[in-house]
Order: sequence, then structure tokens, then C-alpha cells
Amino acid sequence: VTAIHQFVPTLAPRDAVGTHYLAVQSTLRDAGYRSDIYAYEAKDEFKRLAEPFQSFSGGRPGEDTWLLYHSSVGSPVADFVSSRPEPVMVDYHNITPASFFLRWEPVVAGALSLGRRQLARLAGRARLGLADSAFNASELAEIGYTSTAVVPILLDIDAVDSTAPDAALLARLDAAKARGGADWLFVGRLAPNKAQHDVVKAFAAYRELFDADARLHLVGGSSSHSYLGALTDFVAALGLADAIDITGAVSDGALAGYYASADVFVVCSEHEGFCVPLLEAMHRRVPIVAYAAAAVPETVGEGAILLDGKRPLTVATAVDRVLHDDALRDGLVAAGTKRLSDFAIEASRRKLLDAVATVAGAP
Amino acid sequence: MNEPLDLQQVRREIEAEVRARRATGEYPPGFERELDALFARFAPPEVSEDFDAALERAEETVALDPVIPTASNSPIFGIVKRVVAKLVGWYHAWLAQELTAFGAVLTNALRLLGKRVSHLEHVTADTARARTTAMLVPATRDDAAWSNLVVERLRACDARVAVVECGEGVLVQSLLDAGVDAYGVEPRAETADAALERGIEVRIDDGAGHLRRVAPASLGAVVLRGVVERAPVGELLQLVDAAAAALRPNGVMLVCSLRDSGWRTGPTVVEADLALGHPLHPDTWCAVLPEQGFVDVSATAAGANAYVVTGTRAAGS
Repeated sequence: VTAIHQFVPTLAPRDAVGTHYLAVQSTLRDAGYRSDIYAYEAKDEFKRLAEPFQSFSGGRPGEDTWLLYHSSVGSPVADFVSSRPEPVMVDYHNITPASFFLRWEPVVAGALSLGRRQLARLAGRARLGLADSAFNASELAEIGYTSTAVVPILLDIDAVDSTAPDAALLARLDAAKARGGADWLFVGRLAPNKAQHDVVKAFAAYRELFDADARLHLVGGSSSHSYLGALTDFVAALGLADAIDITGAVSDGALAGYYASADVFVVCSEHEGFCVPLLEAMHRRVPIVAYAAAAVPETVGEGAILLDGKRPLTVATAVDRVLHDDALRDGLVAAGTKRLSDFAIEASRRKLLDAVATVAGAP
Repeated sequence: MNEPLDLQQVRREIEAEVRARRATGEYPPGFERELDALFARFAPPEVSEDFDAALERAEETVALDPVIPTASNSPIFGIVKRVVAKLVGWYHAWLAQELTAFGAVLTNALRLLGKRVSHLEHVTADTARARTTAMLVPATRDDAAWSNLVVERLRACDARVAVVECGEGVLVQSLLDAGVDAYGVEPRAETADAALERGIEVRIDDGAGHLRRVAPASLGAVVLRGVVERAPVGELLQLVDAAAAALRPNGVMLVCSLRDSGWRTGPTVVEADLALGHPLHPDTWCAVLPEQGFVDVSATAAGANAYVVTGTRAAGS
């Protein structure tokens, strides 16, 4: 029997990466591997699904044991895995370059910087580097990973339909829509690399020039207090506090409500390693206008209007075009649905097992 | 069945719509810059690169709190934390004191360093102020002197052409009229607005910065204008490096410059007085460009007071 145990910084519900860890575990177990999860911390209802990482003392006698480390931030788990004698695989979900946070949130920048150093240290140990995207795989190759494979995040996109939109929220959003104006949406943690301030600038231009009743919903928790503060003050200074909703973290039902009400999904991120919300927007048939940076073009394929720049007037004009050109909107939605099929969970599971088998062999 | 989308075409149409709306004045000049400036007001000083404000922020955060936090959601953990705080409190206070003193010494040293740098800037003719003042002077050039030479040299160019310091866009317009896919780069926002209002594509950026941001080996030609008379030699070399990297193999570099004598008279005299550099002799360009990987370098007179130097980026460089 071969065992492939996962080592993760944090296992938390309502988190795409957390869901991925569990899907990887079930995929490995279904294929016949033995697989447990060891974490630095496990939260809420996922607490019982992981063991403390320090409790791992080695595989069972006679068992071929591998460690699969998931890299997304600096963590003591990486140093623990580095120190172990078992062969290692790394699944890289991207670590935001510290430069994005250095001037906003130095402590976060330190953790990110540590994460990248740990990732580089593991290059010599890792027999295989898995990556959510070719963009992430190229980053692994740059720091010395000699064997890499692209395995998209294991996300059962159809499962998001199992959560009904929050009825009260949806009623509020529908009432606002009935009064006129388009609904812009961006979903993602408030962070300098996601550049929500550029979405706000584009939205301000759109309100000024095309649709004075439009609304913007920025959904997601915050990764930086100072960035959140600057963004909130910026919105207030623009006089758009009534039109821009900075929601913070929301429930699955509320998220479904925002997607259900959205007319367009607008992305101005400078750095994304994959960007799961793009898949959610494509699944919810929301057309996407995005700045073509990092892994965004790879994730959306032909399912979005990709812009070379993100000057506010250009983004606003692109959004206006999408909202008033039915053929374009329908075409984008159809292309998004087609692109989504490339991330079907069964195909991704197969890719994972094929990649793992190349180094660890059959279970 | 939906027709397949031509997203490249859609992007081109969006860009064209933006340019057309700018040309009609529907998109107000300066609007985007106002948005940028407004957000910059709320960004921390480290982001806005304000040295004094950044130092003040460092001084505000340098004093470490000697009190150990003991609050907890759990009463038991609360007790444990208070016991630990009592046991190690003396050491924590000492450590906080030492680190605070170290931080204070460091910020004081930084403040002294800042003063020395300011003093240095003053005694070296306050270059930042001179540069800022020079940037306010409209860089008037009569493109007629070199327009024909440039257009004829680039008429057959089948890739994008960047005109660095395009001014109000007269030379870019001549290239567009000749069927060349040209755009401008102009650091003076008000001057760029005038070009934008003509419906010309203009990036508001400094030349070297813009050329470093375009995809390597993507441009068919780079035309340098204006900045070549004003910038110090070191900056010109950086500009040439950036242009060489942005040009595809066999791409063309054109340097359109006034001669020193022509620059120090007429409408450019104020700019000449404030500038940190001066126009190079055409022979200097002919000596410099081959060092940067250009071949077939030659200079052509463009009237009595101007010249054009051309070079081709070597195919194997």
C-alpha cells in the first residue's frame, strides 16, 4: 500500500483551497492510496478532519509513504515537511509576491516572503510540483522544480448550486435593480494585489459616463486593514458610499445572491494564481471583463473580455459594451460555459492521479 | 448556434471607442488622473513614496507596548495567559524597552540621513525642483524638420511604432496618415490631453518606463523626440537600453533632435536653461548606438538646426 498524506497550513470550511484538500483526499482514497490530512490549524466543522502536523511520526511499517505539502503562505508546516525523511510532493496554489503587501501590511508581507523562501527550499526535496495553473507551474520551474504538472483546483462547480441565494439579500438586490442601474460584482479578498481600488475607479467612470444608477458589490474578507481603510475612505471621498457595497466575508447563500443579481463581473487584479471566483462567475452565467494579468487569461480562456490595460475609462467602456451588446454577452457566457468544462472535477481528479502515479506509482 | 467571438476585434473596437470619445471631449481630460490622485491621498505614505510621512509613521509605531495581552474567550486560557504574563512580564518589558530604544535610534538615524540627502539635493542645484519646473514647460518642437525623414523611413514598417515624447501628436498623426500603426508616449499630462483630443492613442508615461513595460521585442520602431535634448547622458543610455529591449530584431530606432545651437535659441530656450542635459552631437549617437546592439547607424541633417539618427536593431542581438 502507498500512503500519500497531505500537510496543510490551515483547513477551513468555505474556502476553495480547503475544499480542494478534502477532494484530493477522497480522490486518493478512492484510488486506493491511504491518505490523511495534517494541519497547523483546522477550523470549525473541519476540526475533526485533520490531525496536528506535529503528531505525524512516520508511515506504517512496510508502507511506501509520501508527503504532499500544499503551499499558499508561510507556515511552520513547510519546515516540518522539509525535515522529514519521506519523499515529498508540493501542490502550489500560488503565494502573492510580498511586494504587493510590503508597503500596506508589512507583517503579511513577511509571511508571504517566508512562504516563497520555504517553497524554494522544498524544491530540492520535491519529486513533483503540482500547480493549479500553467502560470503557477512556471513559477515553480523558475525556482528549481524540475518536474511539474498542472492539476486544476478540485472544485465541484455544480455543488455551488446546492446553496440557495439568501432570500432577504436577493429581495434587497432585486428591489435596487428594479429602480434601475447595472450591478457590478467582484469577489475576492480585499488585498492590494487584487486592486479593488482600480475596480472602484472604473466604476466611478462608468457612473459618470454611462449609468448614474449603477451599483458595485465588492465581496470578500480583508487581508489588509490599511488597504480596507484606504478603499473605504476613497469610496466615501468619491461620494459613492451608497452605490458601492464593501460586504466583508459573506455566507454561501449571500454569495449566491450576489452572483444571481450581478450583470457583470469585473476584475482588475495585478496578481492571481488561479482565481476561483472567475469559475463561479462563468458558472453563474455572469459575463466577465478582466485585466489580463498573471493567471487570469489562462483561467478564463475565451470566456471574458481581456484588457491589456485597466485605465478606468477603458474598463468602463468595455463594461458598457458587454451590457448593451446582447450577442457579445451571450457569446461570452457561452464561451465561459465551454471553458468551465475544462475544469470538470472528474477530469481534474484523473489529472491528479496520473501526475501522482508518475512518481509514487500505483496504490 | 452562436457565432464564434472575435475578442481581438472587440478589444480593438473598445479602444477605438475610447479614443473617439476622448476626441469629442466626452471623456473629460484629466478625469482618470484625478481618480488616481484621490486614491493616493488615502494610501499609506509608503505607497505614495512620501519620505517625511513614511518616517513619521515609523516614529509613531516605534514604541512597543510593554503590556502583554491576556484577554481570551476562554476563562481557563485567560487565567493561563495572566499567569504566563506575570512570570515573563519583566522580561517582556525589558525586551520592549530595548527594541523601542533600537527603533528610536534607527528612525533618528534615518531622519539625519534624510536631512543630508535634502542638503545634497540643494547643493547639487536642487535637481528634483529643476526637473519638476522643466516638466511644466511645454516642449515645443517643429516636427516639420524631421517629419518627412521619419515617415519615409517607417512607411513600410508593419509592426507598432512608439513615438516617445510625442508632444501634441503631430508626428504621430503624420505616421498614422501614412498608414503606420503609431502611438505616442508623453509624460506631460496636459500635453498628452491635447494629443488625446485629436483621437491619437497616447500613453501618459515617461519614455524609459513605458518601453520597459511593453513586451520585449514587440515594437517595429521607436522614435525618440524631445527628451533626447533634455535628459542627462545616463538617462539617455537607459532610454536606449529600454528601446533596444522593446524593439524586435531588425526594428528601427530613430533619434530626432535639435542641434545644441538651435535648442538654445527660440521657443526651446527656457527648457534649455532648466534642463540637466543638452542635445548630443549626431556623431555621439553614431558612436553610442552600435554599443547598444544597433547596426547601420547613420545621421542625416534635417535642416540647419536638427538631425535624425537611424539605427537598426541587429537580428541576433
